[in-house]
Amino acid sequence: MTEPTSTIAPLGDSALLVTFGDRIDPGLNERAHDLAAAVERLRAGDERFGRAVPAYASVLVPFDPIAVEPEEARRIVAGLVDEAPPGVETKGVGTLVEIPVRYGGANGPDLAEVAALHGLQPDDIVELHAGTEYRVYFLGFAPGFAYMGPLPAQIATPRLDAPRQRIPAGSVGIAGEQTGVYPFALPGGWRIIGRTDVSLWDLGRDSPSLLRAGDRVRFVPAP
Amino acid sequence: MLEVLEPGVLTSIQDAGRPDWTHLGVPVGGACDAWSLAVANLLVGEDAGAAAVEMTLVGATFAVRAPITVGLAGADLGGIVQESGRSLPPGRTHRLEEGSTISFLGDTDPAAPSGARAYLALPGGIDVPPVLGSASTALGAGFGGIDGRRLRAGDVLRAALAGGLASDAVWPAFADDPLAAAGTDPLRLLAGPAAGLEAIIATEWTVGAASDRVGLRLEGPPLPATASGELLSRGVVRGAIQLPPGGAPIVLLAEHQTTGGYPIAAVVITADHPRLGQLRPGASVRFTVTTIDDARLALARQREALARGAATVRAGAAWDELWQSAGG
Repeated sequence: MTEPTSTIAPLGDSALLVTFGDRIDPGLNERAHDLAAAVERLRAGDERFGRAVPAYASVLVPFDPIAVEPEEARRIVAGLVDEAPPGVETKGVGTLVEIPVRYGGANGPDLAEVAALHGLQPDDIVELHAGTEYRVYFLGFAPGFAYMGPLPAQIATPRLDAPRQRIPAGSVGIAGEQTGVYPFALPGGWRIIGRTDVSLWDLGRDSPSLLRAGDRVRFVPAP
Repeated sequence: MLEVLEPGVLTSIQDAGRPDWTHLGVPVGGACDAWSLAVANLLVGEDAGAAAVEMTLVGATFAVRAPITVGLAGADLGGIVQESGRSLPPGRTHRLEEGSTISFLGDTDPAAPSGARAYLALPGGIDVPPVLGSASTALGAGFGGIDGRRLRAGDVLRAALAGGLASDAVWPAFADDPLAAAGTDPLRLLAGPAAGLEAIIATEWTVGAASDRVGLRLEGPPLPATASGELLSRGVVRGAIQLPPGGAPIVLLAEHQTTGGYPIAAVVITADHPRLGQLRPGASVRFTVTTIDDARLALARQREALARGAATVRAGAAWDELWQSAGG
């Protein structure tokens, strides 16, 4: 039987959404990635299913509703959920990736305001942001954009009220307890505290995304 | 071979999209109206999901640099050969002569527009290098198609197969063409995980001007405050009707983000996605609830219609070849 801690619900006629919880949590995220990996193994011999989309605590599983009846798709996916029950440590720690960041000034136009909002100095924000190892929960929003966290509670900051039209490539932002790097110029509402020259998205690489779900990330202050 | 003289409002190379990279945050993308993309391609003997030109509202003007046969489908954007005045309606192939100029200057009947997007296919597809397995242009991320951007003056489109086809092809006008549904027919949807379905089906919505390939913005009365908000991000699908806080509903189209945090009140069924891709800003749209069984039946019929149409086109081509060889 499916663990009671997960739900499987249709999203339209061609996808199922499996949800393990409604909070940002490494354990729930691990379950999501275990299921996504199980779906990929299934897909190697079953073309009726599409590429799974893992997120914080959920996995979207697309399927072809003519090739497989939705109820059967649900049974198959429920079986995959059961294969990886919660609490089982299935993996070691992910790859550690270090990202050099120039904090503040033109590179991080929101650093001073973030500091002021928390009654801290800009250097305190840099120390806290760079002093934490983050987990890559999933990629979304744009190609190569990794949702990372958790941010130290002292510097968790809501997004900007009005998103910017264009945030330069390499900008390091924070939003709530999340942090992330804009892989190329994009509109966005995260508060920008620094910038990196590291390329997050490069189609010339075997894997175009520098970061993958499960990776660990450290930001290193650069001059 | 076609050279772009004027690109129009938004003209780009699109195919069936790249569905295998969503785990890296890459939108599926591809044609907003996959039915019309398929029809245009099948008319020129190409695979349904091959790369073609997607034109929006006011299309491009092309100089024909070498004789070519093109397949047209989707909205009638007033296609015309400028020198002769010959019209280029959708739903068939057209032989174009070297030295002529073709343009798609917008719907010829603004009072009853036929749709938002037209597709122009070339024999063998358009010769551009695939990126992550697809030729479609990811406009937001800036890759695919030609340099990851919309077409502009001076761009040259080469058919992967040179020259023309042996015969003309016409798409058969039998039933189950999703675009044959009257513009006033409601779009069919299934309930989503969040509240708000009642308000969505009770309203006649207007497609907002800020709509694009990512999503349609629906303008109408404000929704109940409880219906909108923000949740933990999770995977989302084309056709999902999102309710952003304090904002108008957004129906996700081809280039939607892979994940999103807005509540989803309903999802338009796959069989009606082609019609979603043909809604113009200012158009009125209504929704009605259907069942998963009806959604599957509609999709199965649509695929059968596409297969029958393809067979009819192929049979016509085979007959023409036989006729020509018999005639010596």
